[in-house]
Parts: sequence; C-alpha cells; structure tokens
Amino acid sequence: MGYPYSHPSEVPILSKHFGDPEARTLDGWRARGGYEALEKALNMSPEEVVDTVKESGLRGRGGAGFPTGLKWSFMPKTKDKPHYLLCNADESEPGTFKDRELMRWVPHQLIEGCLIGAYAMGAEHVYIYCRGEFFEATQVLAKAVEDAYEAGIIGEDILGSGKKIDLTVHAGAGAYICGEETGLMNSLEGDRGEPRVKPPFPAAVGAFGMPTTINNVETLCAIPHIVANGGEWYRQWGSEKSPGTKLFCVSGHVKRPGNYELPLGFPLKDLIFDVCGGMIEDRALKAVIPGGSSVPLLSAEEAEGCSLCYEGVVEAGSMLGCASVIVMDETTDIVRQVTRMASFYAHESCGQCTPCREGTAWVTTILKRIEDGRGTEDDLDTLVEVTDQMTGTTICVLSDSVAAPVQSSIKKFRDEYLALIRRGERVGAA
Amino acid sequence: MSEIPFKNPGWAGNVGEYDLTEEQVRGIDFVGVRPLEGGHAAGSATYPYMLEDKHPEAPLFEGPYEVRFQKILTRYPTKRAALLPALNLAQEIRGHISPQTMDRVGELLELSPAYVRGVATFYTMYNKRPVGRHLVQVCTNISCNLCGGQEVLDAFLEHTNTEVGETSADGTFTVIEAECLAGCGFPTCVQINSRYFENVTLEEVPKIVAHLRESGPATESLEGEE
Ligand SMILES: Cc1cc2nc3c(=O)[nH]c(=O)nc-3n(C[C@H](O)[C@H](O)[C@H](O)COP(=O)(O)O)c2cc1C
Ligand code: SF4
Ligand code: FES
Repeated sequence: MGYPYSHPSEVPILSKHFGDPEARTLDGWRARGGYEALEKALNMSPEEVVDTVKESGLRGRGGAGFPTGLKWSFMPKTKDKPHYLLCNADESEPGTFKDRELMRWVPHQLIEGCLIGAYAMGAEHVYIYCRGEFFEATQVLAKAVEDAYEAGIIGEDILGSGKKIDLTVHAGAGAYICGEETGLMNSLEGDRGEPRVKPPFPAAVGAFGMPTTINNVETLCAIPHIVANGGEWYRQWGSEKSPGTKLFCVSGHVKRPGNYELPLGFPLKDLIFDVCGGMIEDRALKAVIPGGSSVPLLSAEEAEGCSLCYEGVVEAGSMLGCASVIVMDETTDIVRQVTRMASFYAHESCGQCTPCREGTAWVTTILKRIEDGRGTEDDLDTLVEVTDQMTGTTICVLSDSVAAPVQSSIKKFRDEYLALIRRGERVGAA
Repeated sequence: MSEIPFKNPGWAGNVGEYDLTEEQVRGIDFVGVRPLEGGHAAGSATYPYMLEDKHPEAPLFEGPYEVRFQKILTRYPTKRAALLPALNLAQEIRGHISPQTMDRVGELLELSPAYVRGVATFYTMYNKRPVGRHLVQVCTNISCNLCGGQEVLDAFLEHTNTEVGETSADGTFTVIEAECLAGCGFPTCVQINSRYFENVTLEEVPKIVAHLRESGPATESLEGEE
C-alpha cells in the first residue's frame, strides 16, 4: 500500500507493508515470506542470479536508470581481491523521499536485497551508506541488521550455506554530493565526498581501491521479489524498456502527496488528478518536475500526455530521474522557486571543477538579482550561456543539473521572467 | 588500544533502546494522522548521536565510548574510514567539533590535523561552533517551499527570537535553514535534534517552540538552580 495514502491503481510490491510495524521485525518479516528469496538465491549459482536480474530488465532507481543486471555483470569473477557492494541510502535529491520510507518500514527487505546482490557479485562486505540526517531510519535498520546477525542471516555462515557476508550501516554527515557514487566512496573511506574522475570505473577500482558496485535502496529492495518470482514475472508491469513497478514520490500542490507504487508507464495526468486527488483547492496546474530538482520542468501542456517511464518522460522533454514528481499550481512563482533550486546547487557543489564552482555561484547571484527586481533582459541570455558552459564539462553531473531547471524555466516561462524584469510583476505573490 | 573482537560488524554505534514502538518511532508528542490534520512527527529520540546532554569539555572515547570507538575500527578495512563515525561520536559527546576535538580524533586515527580539518569542514552536520540545546533545521527547498517552508522558517526565527544560525541568549535554540531532508511529501519538514517533524504549519510553530523550551535536561537543571 502507499503511504500515508493508498490507491486502487497501485501495485504494492516493495511498499506492500508500509504502515505495518510488524513487518519491521525479523519474525514479522519471515511471516510475510521474508528471506525465502535469499534461501532460493543461495541454491542458485551467482551467474544464475545475475541472469535473473538481467531478464527482469530492472533499471537503477537512483536516478540514472542503468540496467542493474548489466552493472552487476561488470564485476570481475576472480577472487584475488575483496569485492564490495555499496547501498546508496544518501537520498538527498530535492523531491525524493522513498528510500527513507523503505528503510524505516521494511528494513529486512533491503537487507535481503543486499545479501542477494553480494552473493551474486562475490562481495564479502556490504556497506549501507545512510545520509546522516536519517537518525530514525538508521536506527530501525541497525536493529534489523543486529537481529539478522543474531539469526545467522548475515555473518560467517549465512543461512547455513557456508557463505560469509558482512554488512555495516554507515552514517554520513550531511553533503548532497555524497549521493554521487564515487563521492560516496571517498566519503566512506573517510575523505571529503568529492567525486572521482572516471575511468577507472568502480567495478575495477572502487571503494578502498577494490572492485565495487553501488546500487540505490529501491533497486536492491526489488531484488528479492525478482529472485523469488523470476525475471519474466517482473516484466508483466511497465514497458519493454522500463519494466516493473516504481515508487513515485509526489510532493507540492496536490491534495494527497506521498509515495505511490505504480507500474512504470503510468500516465502523469492520472497520477496527479486521480491517485493524488487533484490539485489543492482545484487550482490549475502550471508545471511539473517529474524526476527531482535536477531534471527539466514540464509545462502543463507537456505534462498532459506524459507517460511515466524512462522513455516516456524523455519524449515529453524531461527525465524520469528518481520519479520524484513535484507539482506546481498556478500560484507558483517560478522565478522564486528556480532561484531556490539554484542556490541549493551552489551550496552543494564540492568545488573541484571551476565551471561548477563558479557557475553555480554566478547563476544564483544573477537569479537573485532578477528576483529582487534589479534584473535586465540580457541576464536571461547570460544565464543560458553560463549554464551551457556548465554542461558536459565537469567531473560529475551536479553541474549539468543546474542547467535543467534554469534553462527549461527560461524557455517555458519566459513571460514570468520578463514580467518581473520589465514591470516588477510577480506571479503567485500572496 | 587493544583490538576487541566483536561478533556483529553491523552498526558501529550503540543505538540504545531498540524495541521501538510505533509511538516512539513516530514521536510521542506529535503523533497524529497525517498529513491534512498536520501535527505529525517522525523520528526517534533514542538514537544517541544528538542527545541533549552534551559537555564541550568531556573526555573523548572513555568508558562505553571507548568500546564504541573500538567497535568502529573493526568495521572498515582502513583506519581512515573510521574518521566520519569517530567524529559523529565526538559530536555526540561534546555537542560540537572544535579544532581541539579534530586534533585529538586525528591523533587516534593517525591522521594529520590539516587532513581532519579538511574533512570535518566539508560536512554540514558537524557543528564547528557550539549550538543551542535544540538545533532546529527547517527545510526551505523546493517541495517544502512550495507549501510555505520559508514562512515556517521565519516563524521559528520569530518565536525563538534569533537570526539564522545564531544561538538564543539562553542557549536553548539555534535555528538554521536546511536543504531537502527527504520528507518532501510532508511539508514543511523540520528536523529538531535527531527527530523529524513533518507537516509543520505556521500555527504549530509556537506550540513546538513552547514544548521544546519546557523539555530536556538542561531546562530541568536550570529550574533546579532557580
Ligand atoms: C550529484 C548526484 C547526486 C546523487 N544522489 C543520489 C542519491 O542521493 N541516491 C542515489 O541512490 N543515487 C544518487 N545519485 C546517483 C548515483 O550516482 C548512482 O548512479 C546510483 O546510486 C546508482 O544506483 P542504481 O544503479 O541502483 O540507480 C546521485 C548522482 C549525482 C550525480
Ligand atoms: S561537477 Fe561540481 S559537484 Fe561535481 S565534482 Fe565538479 S565541482 Fe564537484
Ligand atoms: S524539499 Fe523539504 S524535505 Fe525535501
């Protein structure tokens, strides 16, 4: 079920036990079929597990949508060095709030996914990197890990298979950039969370210099279900290129915001107007950000026919990202909100690359000037030019992320910028 | 320090009271139906890292903390990787990370003071200066802001009579602006010490501030002195 609300259109697989405190406990999880998939996986060969994940077509839920089975197959088969699996629980993309719910309601589901993944890739140690602010989720997860150790599910001899896998919950300390995979590795190693230049890719040289795979919480939570039911089963939902179900985090001006698990390809319009009960006070829709603050805005017209799968959102002019749907109604002051997003990136830039460090700061300064009513029309061209230079020129894509809201809003809501610049008119100012 | 063998390399800290009831997880004082009714809080106060009782001069890693520190070292293949968990622990004990604390942690982990400083200043959760007994972090990022995050921040500042980042005269509050806390569907999301308060509305701010003012060990001892 969704949480805090549910809807008949949902296909609750990962979120089936949200809101049910019993499912949090080891006994409760086992009573709900938990750890049967792990048992099954341990009776398969690691290659068979990877093949099952490949068959399912599961794509990474951390934002980039890279096929998970393929990523797993990049790990070297030789065992001359330790291998690591990292779980990215740094959830900090504005608009995204699914991983926290997964960890605090169904921690054993994540542990099970991590263990299956570690087995399939020959990883001897799993680290779950939780963002530092998640005290509660970390605590619930830590309790589940202790219980699983106690029961022989993690540790020296998992479920009597003779396999040894350790798992550690690691808390971060507050930095968005630690969500980037190589930034996370540096942070785990006790360094500043600065992204690394690739190649070498993590499967060759990752955490502690060893072969490493990194997956999002939601990706790993889907694994037990795929292993238990088979790759074909997972493909009954979604499209050819985007199989399965996905948690959609809906926030902003809707009547019932929250997490909803829906088949990929679900119409955006139905998500807003049916599942989420429509707009607050039935005001008109102005814009939607379909995938977290790093993807371009969609205007109401573009949102109209948008299908929520990886290829569908690209067709509509944006990206699915982590399916964090931010809904804005007619009262929204676009310039003010874009300025806020830009200042977020300026704050979170790690500062290694000049285009990003300087660019995020300048873009924010110019936007603030426009917001203060001191902007000129030339500023809009400058913004487009600066963000162009910030795209594709840096170590990680944080820099590119700034271009998305800035360029798309200038293109689609130019009138609002101009009204503010020319006449000091502000939309949505209460 | 001697190596202490540990059975479970699960969590490097001691997370205290484990058997959380729904109420404890959801927060006792602001349990409610969400989100339209508002007044809901999530988070557990039992996680030790942001305890209200902190001593800037307390010895680092002694007694139970020595055990926890040793535990941390067993969790990673390198000593350096223990730096963030060790700083977390130091902040739990002392409330903030002073240059002296950084130097001491560096010594224990065989890292240079400059290195530790470079790392500690990179992360926003390490308080480089003392903060109030209640650290209030209000999210004003996009989703919360669409639903009034900025106004909630302003209300917290008004009711605690402080500026952003400033500690109130009685040492009770420090209010800061936070980036997205991953509670975007339940705006405005406010983190107070280790607990999340969700669906915080303007009207609730004075109630929460009054509640915080009355709660916690420091107030008790203050009252005892009066
Ligand atoms: C700036 C930046 C921030 C990111 N933040 C997160 C995050 O908070 N959580 C996450 O799972 N992935 C995040 N990612 C994506 C990760 O780099 C990585 O692609 C992902 O964890 C891979 O997991 P997946 O294949 O399961 O999606 C971020 C990427 C960038 C560039
Ligand atoms: S693009 Fe920005 S955040 Fe990414 S590595 Fe470069 S400076 Fe750091
Ligand atoms: S935007 Fe406020 S919690 Fe995400």
